[in-house]
Amino acid sequence: MGKGRYLLKRLIYIIFVFFIISILMFAIYKSMPGDPVEIMLGDSKTTMKPDAYQALYDKTRESLGLDEPLPVQYLSWMGNMLTGEFGYSTQYKQEVINIIGAPMANTVILNILTMFVVFIIAVPLGILTAVRKNGVFDKTVQVLTIVGYSIPTFIIALLAIFLLAVKIPIFPISGVRSAGSTATGLAAALDMLRHMVLPVLVMSVSGIGGITRYVRAAMIDVLRMDYIKTARAKGLREKTVIYIHAFRNALIPVVTITTWWIIGLFGGSIVIESVFLWPGLGKMLIDGLMQRDFAVVLTMQMFYVVLSLAGNVIMDIAYTLVDPRVRLEN
Amino acid sequence: MRNNKKKTRRSTAATAAQRMVLGGLPQEEEEILQSPLQMVISSFVRDKIAMIGVILFTFIFLCCVFLPYFFPIDLYYQDVTQANVAPGFGMLSVPTQLKNNAQDLSVGSSFSVGLDKDGNVYEWGTFPNEKLKNIPSTSETGKLVQISAGLDHIVAVNEDGQVFTWGNDRMGLASIPMELRSGGNDIKQILAGYQISLALTEDGEMYNWGSDYLLSITYPEGVQGNIDKFAASTNIVMALTKDGEVVPLTNKTSAYTNIPEEIQGNVVDLALTDESAAAVTADGTVYAWGNNIKKTLDIPEEIQGQVVSLTGGRYHYTAILQDGTVYSWGDNTHGQADAPSGTTVASVDSGYYANYAITQDGTVVAWGLKGYLMGTDALGRDLFRRILVGGRMTMTVGAIAVIISSFIGIVIGGISGYKGGKVDNLLMRLTEIVSSIPFLPFCIILSSILGNKISETQRIILIMCILGLLSWPGIARLVRGSVLAEREQEFVTAAKALGVRELGIIFRHILPNIITVIIVNATLSFATCMLTESSLSFIGFGVNEPNATWGNMLTGAQNGQVIENYWWRWVFPALMLGICTISINCIGDGLRDAIDPKSKER
Repeated sequence: MGKGRYLLKRLIYIIFVFFIISILMFAIYKSMPGDPVEIMLGDSKTTMKPDAYQALYDKTRESLGLDEPLPVQYLSWMGNMLTGEFGYSTQYKQEVINIIGAPMANTVILNILTMFVVFIIAVPLGILTAVRKNGVFDKTVQVLTIVGYSIPTFIIALLAIFLLAVKIPIFPISGVRSAGSTATGLAAALDMLRHMVLPVLVMSVSGIGGITRYVRAAMIDVLRMDYIKTARAKGLREKTVIYIHAFRNALIPVVTITTWWIIGLFGGSIVIESVFLWPGLGKMLIDGLMQRDFAVVLTMQMFYVVLSLAGNVIMDIAYTLVDPRVRLEN
Repeated sequence: MRNNKKKTRRSTAATAAQRMVLGGLPQEEEEILQSPLQMVISSFVRDKIAMIGVILFTFIFLCCVFLPYFFPIDLYYQDVTQANVAPGFGMLSVPTQLKNNAQDLSVGSSFSVGLDKDGNVYEWGTFPNEKLKNIPSTSETGKLVQISAGLDHIVAVNEDGQVFTWGNDRMGLASIPMELRSGGNDIKQILAGYQISLALTEDGEMYNWGSDYLLSITYPEGVQGNIDKFAASTNIVMALTKDGEVVPLTNKTSAYTNIPEEIQGNVVDLALTDESAAAVTADGTVYAWGNNIKKTLDIPEEIQGQVVSLTGGRYHYTAILQDGTVYSWGDNTHGQADAPSGTTVASVDSGYYANYAITQDGTVVAWGLKGYLMGTDALGRDLFRRILVGGRMTMTVGAIAVIISSFIGIVIGGISGYKGGKVDNLLMRLTEIVSSIPFLPFCIILSSILGNKISETQRIILIMCILGLLSWPGIARLVRGSVLAEREQEFVTAAKALGVRELGIIFRHILPNIITVIIVNATLSFATCMLTESSLSFIGFGVNEPNATWGNMLTGAQNGQVIENYWWRWVFPALMLGICTISINCIGDGLRDAIDPKSKER
């Protein structure tokens, strides 16, 4: 089986999973409190005569398609979701599609930067500890990484705020740009970067803890293999052995865990966004729930689902890239 | 009979399996051999980090399970006067210079003040306001003779009748009426209350300054100039006239204004708590009226007829009897009703949750609230007690979620791994679907949509179920993998050959062999579930107030001001949660190393 066919098979499967989860989402959508017709009609219930209201109610209900059987309703809802008609936000008095751009950009920037920081630190650290297994350095890093991934992110956030925003006020406590800042271009970007330092730092800590341990474990497994001995026996330089021969093989388990971590990262950034008042998707989701703005909530949920499935696709692609044996499976 | 037969068959299979695992070892050597379990235990005990984790976690666990019985908590209790009190036990530590030389003492919200016979001011306890430490110098005040502490300010009066105040100066607390500022009046009584100050002259004229928003003080006609004493709580001010009548200084009717008719004209002393009022009549009997939530109306029978004077704290009364002994009753959460017996006192001051008495030989005796081990939160709740019950809640939610997820994981993973083929394919697809669901967003949305319609207890159960139902895929995959490896072993073939039913093989023969893997995984996911629960509670979608969890105790600590000024409000819950999850992860890691010697080489 070729790589292409393998990927196609996975893609079809993921579409199937999306279908199943979308049914779940539809169930959530239907179980949301409040009658959508009444919400749409607003206060006309009190101003109109009962019969006239009832007639209007039935008409609106029909026009919204709520009298159709559930499968039909599901299909039309799904169609709307896929074409970007996420509904009307009662909180922002706008179509949801028009307001999710900026928060999405904020969240994606935050998470991409975190990923970058985590990989820059965790991968070399993991390799280094694996090579110097059981040394003092390794032991120290081992303990620190346990601490890193055990402590909840919001506690790290509180600590970081206390140390770096309150005691030594170098970074702003919250927000995305300084109040009243009119800077543009580079200055604005720098200002935003300054606001991102704390959230990114906090989100990186647990990521570094987890990924370092996985890289280390994978590297140790690989370093025991016979082909590493062969490579060393050939007289290759130690650097070549570690970075070319060992690390490429260690990547396979690391890819799996990284995908899950990235999906979790986006979900976990909900907490961080609410602590640092970062105007991203997570904060929007929470605000939406607080304000009972369910169109927004459902759109956010859809985003997380799509992200999670996209993560799966990326993982599959990454597999085929790092592990040539993948096409032999299945 | 048939049942019996089956049992013997099974045990034969088990022994056969055991023989196969251990090989044909001679029986005598078995004693010096360690069983796999012993090996695991001994290598686990040798792991220092894991053992530290076990000790720390066991300690916190036992504290959270047993200490709430010794430190009971009323989850709905709140007290604004005790808000944001720093940790410490210095509230009753009367300075030694004052101990035998006290003129007047007064209990404030979380601090106390005292005057010695030379007019020097002493302050001790936990200060809600830094300005309280700006005691005016003696050159400015002259010799002070009376002092009173309130929520966050102090009022004092000197020999010449001049009134001074320091501490909180907002809400008009600093604007002492001119007549009192200049002196010349004989001040009979002063009182610093909740955002208000009160003073009474010998002529029976009363003054009040500060905010009377809560009290709405009005003087009924003919009362001014005829007042003998007054008492105040956060709800009302009441006066005792020179004719022995109790007069509420307000227009509003409430439980306090419902004064028994028979005592009017016969009252000699008056005291107020936050839920009731009490008066002593000339024959030494105490009458109390108001609400009785904290048992302040349950006047002990044995003191009736002997009471001379009465003082009140927030939820307790202290009485001096004819023979000079003191007696307290009412709320005793902080020991404020544990009056010392056998001492004869000259005067008593009660307030908030403490009492000071000056004995007849001039020494100071104190009882009541000494302080809070971990301080209090914004609603005046004792953090230590909340951390104990919060820990119990966090661990319970985590444990039950893990039990649910392990159970589902074992069943699905076990069946899938053993059966293989189509069943395996189907169950694994299901596992993948569940693990594709974005975890935290789904928890949030489910708990907020489903959690709206139900009670708080049901909501907690719901959260356990959500956590359990969404986190089983990991365990299922692991169990499936282990079962796949185990089912090819000879003892399984032996069991099959002996005719053991499939479920029996899975759960009786294979499961015991992979139980260690499951335990390790359950330990690690216990930590994860605790983390998820506290994250959910932290952002307000988990366990809600007034129920405490370590997560929602940190909710209030999200702004820079709290983080900076009230460090105890986030440090202690965060420390507990951090120590707990770190130790559990260390234990899990240690167990894994102990069980899997291969991973130990890492």
